[in-house]
Amino acid sequence: MIKLKDISKWYSNGSAKAHILRHIDLEIKEGEFASIMGPSGSGKSTLLHIMGMIDDPSEGEYSFEGESVFTLKEKQRSELYKKHIGFVFQAYHLIDELTVYENIETPLLYHKISSSERKAMVADILDRFQIVGKKDLFPEQLSGGQQQLVGIARAVITKPKLILADEPTGNLNSKQGEEIMDLFTRLNKEDGVTIVQVTHSEKNASYGSRIINLLDGKIA
Amino acid sequence: MLSNYFKTALRNLLRNKVYSFINIAGLSLGLTCAMLIVLYVKDEVSYDRFHKDVNQIYRIGFQEISKDGAKGRKDAITGYFQGPRFTQNIPEIKSFVRVQGGNRDIKSKGEIYSQELSYVDSSFFSVFSFPLLSGDPKTALVHPQTVVLSETEAIKQFGTTDAVGKTILFEENKQFVPYTVTAVAKKCPQNSSIKFDVLLPMIVSKEDEQNSENWFNFFLNTFIVLKPTANVQAVERKMKMVYEKDAASEIKAQFDKYGVTQKWAYLLQPYTAMHLSTEMPAQNGLSGNSNPVFSYILSGIAVFILLIACINFINLTVARSVKRAKEIGVRKVVGSGRKQLIVQFMGESFILCFIAFVLALVVVQLILPVFNDLSNKALAFSYLLDAKLIGGYILLFILTGLLAGFYPALVLSKYNPTQTLYGRFAIAGKNYLQKSLVVTQFALASFLIIATLTIFSQFNYLTNAKLGYDDTDLVGVQKWDMNREQAQVLKNELKKNPNIVEVAPKNGGFWGTMAKVNGEKQLQFAYETVDETYLPLLKVSIIQGRNFSADYPSDSSHSVIVNEAFVKEAGWKDPLNQVVDFWYHNKKYNVIGVVKDYHFEGLGRKIGPQLFTMKKDNGYGIVFIKIKPHTETASLQYIEKVFKKMFPINPYVYKFKHIENLENYQSEAKWKTILLFGAVLTIFISAIGLFGLSVLSAEKRTKEIGIRKVLGASVGGVVTLLSKDFLKLIIVSFLISMPVAWWATNKWLENYPYRINVGWGIFTATGIMVLIIALATVSFQAIKVAMANPVKSLRTE
Repeated sequence: MIKLKDISKWYSNGSAKAHILRHIDLEIKEGEFASIMGPSGSGKSTLLHIMGMIDDPSEGEYSFEGESVFTLKEKQRSELYKKHIGFVFQAYHLIDELTVYENIETPLLYHKISSSERKAMVADILDRFQIVGKKDLFPEQLSGGQQQLVGIARAVITKPKLILADEPTGNLNSKQGEEIMDLFTRLNKEDGVTIVQVTHSEKNASYGSRIINLLDGKIA
Repeated sequence: MLSNYFKTALRNLLRNKVYSFINIAGLSLGLTCAMLIVLYVKDEVSYDRFHKDVNQIYRIGFQEISKDGAKGRKDAITGYFQGPRFTQNIPEIKSFVRVQGGNRDIKSKGEIYSQELSYVDSSFFSVFSFPLLSGDPKTALVHPQTVVLSETEAIKQFGTTDAVGKTILFEENKQFVPYTVTAVAKKCPQNSSIKFDVLLPMIVSKEDEQNSENWFNFFLNTFIVLKPTANVQAVERKMKMVYEKDAASEIKAQFDKYGVTQKWAYLLQPYTAMHLSTEMPAQNGLSGNSNPVFSYILSGIAVFILLIACINFINLTVARSVKRAKEIGVRKVVGSGRKQLIVQFMGESFILCFIAFVLALVVVQLILPVFNDLSNKALAFSYLLDAKLIGGYILLFILTGLLAGFYPALVLSKYNPTQTLYGRFAIAGKNYLQKSLVVTQFALASFLIIATLTIFSQFNYLTNAKLGYDDTDLVGVQKWDMNREQAQVLKNELKKNPNIVEVAPKNGGFWGTMAKVNGEKQLQFAYETVDETYLPLLKVSIIQGRNFSADYPSDSSHSVIVNEAFVKEAGWKDPLNQVVDFWYHNKKYNVIGVVKDYHFEGLGRKIGPQLFTMKKDNGYGIVFIKIKPHTETASLQYIEKVFKKMFPINPYVYKFKHIENLENYQSEAKWKTILLFGAVLTIFISAIGLFGLSVLSAEKRTKEIGIRKVLGASVGGVVTLLSKDFLKLIIVSFLISMPVAWWATNKWLENYPYRINVGWGIFTATGIMVLIIALATVSFQAIKVAMANPVKSLRTE
């Protein structure tokens, strides 16, 4: 599904280059549940963003589902990304001005889905995640775990093939964390969604099928 | 999709009340001004256009051509002859109508008063499109002793518009004679140069119709209608030819008698060009003339204010985008393209604009009466029914929305989600745009403040400067054509009352004439007919020679008094006993005294040559009555009683001289108020914008301030830190506005022969004022932040 070839990223800092990623070759197969691990500053999040097409490497090749991502036009890339990828963040990143229902609905708006269909989809996911009672609350009225549930609901509502999660349990206590990881496992096993997560925790990584260790921008 | 945007936008507005208030208040004030000005300008350009075939109507004017061919002043005043003679001899002219403004005394319900009216030819209603409610437009103005009323006047006189056949008493040869109402016209549109309540037919005597001197007596407006195919230049050439042929003998006679060598080149002024003309304005019975400069200045102020409000919007939206960066990031991550974000933010600016727009409509409605008063207009909101105007307002709305929303939308939609979502995001370092926008705002505000202070000082100077004579407790009472004996009786009667100090008659209105001095030099001067009490009454000092005196009977036949300006113009070293030669009357007068110059025409004009005479055959038109201080009520009652007893058929009109003098400066007074409003609004909108920015900047630096305080910074230190940058901008903006304002105010002051100097005082005052306002605005928030407990601000991080 994802093929990264010789990906590097650096920032120019005066004459010196500060390398974040060096010559990364990586393949993720459909249906995998992979965890990227490594110390702070090893380039985990950057790698995730490159996979998610919201960041560009300085050099290298990337093919997603057989399409060479960097040769695509901005619009095609955005279409590809919109169709297949969902993002989950450590800090949830819900829109403060919108209710739970509206937050979950937002991606559908950008997918040009009709209003009645949207209603059905959101109702369905609220039900599945057991947050129907919270649908009219604003993010600030929810606990962290609940917010992350909404965040995941928002990520999966468009039925993406790939979910990219950046330390999804980083701000949660262990019980909430377990619930989230269970949810990911279910999505992976039952719906066949490919998941790539960045995590610090061995325990979280153990939910997955594969661990990718990063050190100083290289796969160790 | 739209409802999602809409909800975000509205909730954003509600959550951030301060910004919403600043933006909506600013924009609605700006839009209010812009709407008022659109109304004003629309009224100006639509003036007089309601007449059918208005493009064929012209007013006859002329340009003076001197002996050596140099082109001189233009004027659009004509006499009895131009209309009929040109129409007779030039086939391109279809018809003509003469319109002469005037006053006639009316007796109505036992009251005698002077009525403003116009004398017009019977073709009036066929040339102009003033619809009649009743009466025949063809015959209404044909016969003498008939009158046409406006519906307002008909209601005033008879309580009904059904007035045809009723009569009104007009003064005619010292008697009141009934005139029959032949037609009632609809009220004139307010954007019409001709506005009448009473029209009388213009009756030209047989004698006047033949007297070719009438080529040279100018006192009315002549309008002609050209055939659609006519060429204006060709008609102008033909007018010149007709005039030179028809008036040939009279031109020679004028030369022989007065030494007139000047020529007149007749020209045509389009009817629609009259209203905004400064060269040939609508006057002599036409009204509402306006200087286009007024439109420019008003539009300028409106654009200033709208611009400043838009700047607030741009600055605050961009500055606040830090807070919205997360939302933008999220939207991008869940699939929004840049275009969709631009649409969203533009939409938000339009929602805000729309709220401001609706508010502005309400405010315009509320303050229209005040604005009408200020701008001398009778604008109404019903103008809005006009398609063009609605179009204009929609355009204004869209422009404002675009102006305010486009740049922020562009900036905000560009944010990269990997930065905004990971707190690595800071608004780009130097922020030159924000700074230059603040500088622009405050430069405009300073400019307007300087302009306002200048006009205030000049106004203050004009109204308080010494005129060189004493106008306190001085009542002027009008009485046209009063002879010596009547004046003397009136004087004696009035002086019986101990409250009346002195009474001095004078000619009415303003007289000017010319005479020769030193045997050949022609001099033009103000020509005042007075008696021996006038100069002492005004406390004008005689610096050489003596005043007129009853002890010298020859004073009324042989003596004149002149002012210093006259002496200077004549070039006399020793003015006494010099001769002033009224050669065209074969009369010579000796100068018996010289008075100190005084501002007899107000401070709006330079003091020109002035000559006083007691000549017996010049009638008086006004008496000046000096009353004892604090006896206004009693004295005025007495004066009225005496006047009505002596002149029962004349209207009694009085006016205090010092009030009349103040009225000279009405236009300055209006501009003073308009600029004051403009300046207050600009500084207010700029200040609330600055306040918004300072709040944001303080919020952004909360953590920094917390750390500084933990490290030992004082409250004062923190306030300085937060205010310093803004104050620098204010100083820069002031420095930019100063030279521009200096140039502009000096340019304006050049209109006044007597004026203040734009000194450092005004600039210093403005500088200090702007600085204090800005400092108060910025430090309000800075102090709040500086006083806050650092533990709080650091804990939230």
